[in-house]
Amino acid sequence: MVSLGHGDVVQLLIQLAIMLIAGRLMAELARKFKQPAVIGELLAGILLGPTVLGMINPDWFHALFPTPSGAGTVLTGMVQVAVVMLLFIAGLEVDLHIVWQQGRQAVFTSLIGLIIPFLIGFVFPYTFPNFFGIIEGQSQLTFGLFMGTAMAISALPVIVRILMDLNMFKSRIGLLVVASAMIDDVIGWMIFSVILGMIGKGSDMPFWNTALLTLAFAAVMLTVGRGLLNRVLPWVNRKLAWPGGVLSLSLALCFLAAAFTEFIGIHAIFGAFIMGVALGDSEHFSERAKEIVHQFINNIFAPLFFVSIGLRVNFFVNFDFLLTLTIVAIAFSGKIVGAGLGTRLGGFSWRESMAAGFGLNARGAMEIILGVIALENGLINEKVFVSLIIMALVTSMTSGPLMKWMLNKK
Amino acid sequence: MTFFRKIGLALAFSPRMKALLLEALRIRSVWNSELVLIHVGGHGEDEEKLLSGLLAEVGVNKSELKVVWRKGKPADEILAACKSEKVDLLIAGALKKENLFQYYLGTVARKILRKADCSVLMFTNPSENPKTFQNLVVNAEDSLFVDDALHAACSIGVSDKSNWLHVVREIKMYGLTMSAAEQRSEDEYDALRHSLVKDEIDNVEKILQRIPHEGLKVNIKMVSGKSGFELVKFAQRKSADLLIVGAAQRRLSLFDRVFPHDLEYIFADLPCNLLIINPRNGNRKEESHG
Repeated sequence: MVSLGHGDVVQLLIQLAIMLIAGRLMAELARKFKQPAVIGELLAGILLGPTVLGMINPDWFHALFPTPSGAGTVLTGMVQVAVVMLLFIAGLEVDLHIVWQQGRQAVFTSLIGLIIPFLIGFVFPYTFPNFFGIIEGQSQLTFGLFMGTAMAISALPVIVRILMDLNMFKSRIGLLVVASAMIDDVIGWMIFSVILGMIGKGSDMPFWNTALLTLAFAAVMLTVGRGLLNRVLPWVNRKLAWPGGVLSLSLALCFLAAAFTEFIGIHAIFGAFIMGVALGDSEHFSERAKEIVHQFINNIFAPLFFVSIGLRVNFFVNFDFLLTLTIVAIAFSGKIVGAGLGTRLGGFSWRESMAAGFGLNARGAMEIILGVIALENGLINEKVFVSLIIMALVTSMTSGPLMKWMLNKK
Repeated sequence: MTFFRKIGLALAFSPRMKALLLEALRIRSVWNSELVLIHVGGHGEDEEKLLSGLLAEVGVNKSELKVVWRKGKPADEILAACKSEKVDLLIAGALKKENLFQYYLGTVARKILRKADCSVLMFTNPSENPKTFQNLVVNAEDSLFVDDALHAACSIGVSDKSNWLHVVREIKMYGLTMSAAEQRSEDEYDALRHSLVKDEIDNVEKILQRIPHEGLKVNIKMVSGKSGFELVKFAQRKSADLLIVGAAQRRLSLFDRVFPHDLEYIFADLPCNLLIINPRNGNRKEESHG
């Protein structure tokens, strides 16, 4: 194993400390305004990165985060691991039982709430690729498909928090919104994995191969894989130390699944996500264990990841007002109309349906992760990335107030 | 008590038939109900003789009950007989556990549990010296039949003078709720955890206030996770002799075994005798009530 030099070690530790402290301080500020931590963490990155610190004092910025450097390489690796872990907990949050319980209503809401924003998100960038800043040589179809997916996805944790704040989490409409967001997550990440497979680095797999592999992997993991987990977990719970045993094993399985999907040409995140769904659905993976995994990842790795976003992109230089406005408008119209219509068809009133549409409109951390991976894989340029991040923030911040307004409307 | 006016007993000429009949007779006397014996299979002199011998052995006159003879697929015919006879409670025997093959294909007992439109009492270990139920566990999950299940549990507990009635309620999506609370201070986080438990205890107490249960010791227990699975574990831990649950709100299918419905966790490994409450006016729905 190659070891880091003394200077690199010091630098890496300082980088981690600064990122965690800045992330926490800004998350606390966001908390004061009743906003999710991710907003503060993103702002911390923007402050520490080329947008603010890099503009005000470029020397300090380069001294803190020099490129290339050993510390920078390790930090990049840690951030990549953080993405995998974030997708793992996104999978853990999917409760198939709640989805089955909500039945046809959740299927209507989620599918129509996924198809309409997907179509709108696909049609405009596909028809006007230059306006949306398509990268030269990029396939219009792949670009359109990605933008469609970016519009279709929802952010379950943000939605849950909003519903809890509105005291509606366990209400009929609340459970429907949660179940629909879960379905959207599963389908959205499957579509995104297929797209990544289509443009995959080092693998030129045809579309159908990628799609079939993705589906097959998900099906095997959720049946045979889950069955195997149900055999192994009782032994782990009985024989190994708690929670150390189950934590080590779950993260190891997450990394193994991520490595496997990366190896077969689907992105690592999909393996982590589906492993999260399979583990989370096991009756032997306790709610307490889920809580510990969440806290560990959400409070250490998530801030590192979200702060790092601001370090890599200059938000000021890459901000395109018209593009951002268009993307925000497409995101709002597609999701609110789609999810609203789906909920209405599921038998809810128009008022409740629109409220569900506003709730599912929150994109939050999921959109940001999607954007980062798309940027890393050359699917989008930095301008589109910045617009997507702003869209994620705007939708997350407005979702709760709009939902409340709609439900209180006479 | 008006819970079960008419009781059906699925009778096969097996080694456990006498014990099952005696259990059914005890329950009939508790609820003062009519009893219908349902047999699927051959109906000739031999069977008549066997039945007469059995009834004589347990000291019951044939005129005290009705016997329905049917031919065809056992589970389907038993359930059809229950329907035509307007049976409120079907009593049958079941193995505690089935192998994987039987689990997916479904045996007679499990088919009855999954498809019955009336309440079902499944004995895992019927006794020729029937005893009252002393240690009851009831699932108080927020569902269509929760009131009926609690009502039945309290009625049985009072009439059998049971030692304990354990009322088990699930805190839905506990892990997801706590993970979404990451933006709270330590005190707020603890307060949320306590309120989750307290809210559910209050909900159960509200239902119990409407149901007479004088003299019955009640223990309210909160669980999180897969409620069916947790219920089985809890019933085993408490050495329960009767587990009472509300029926599924829709007909269970193979899909519910692949991605287990809460009841399927119970069917897979019956922790004790099982009573599924399915009120006749309950109108089982094809979809969840939400």
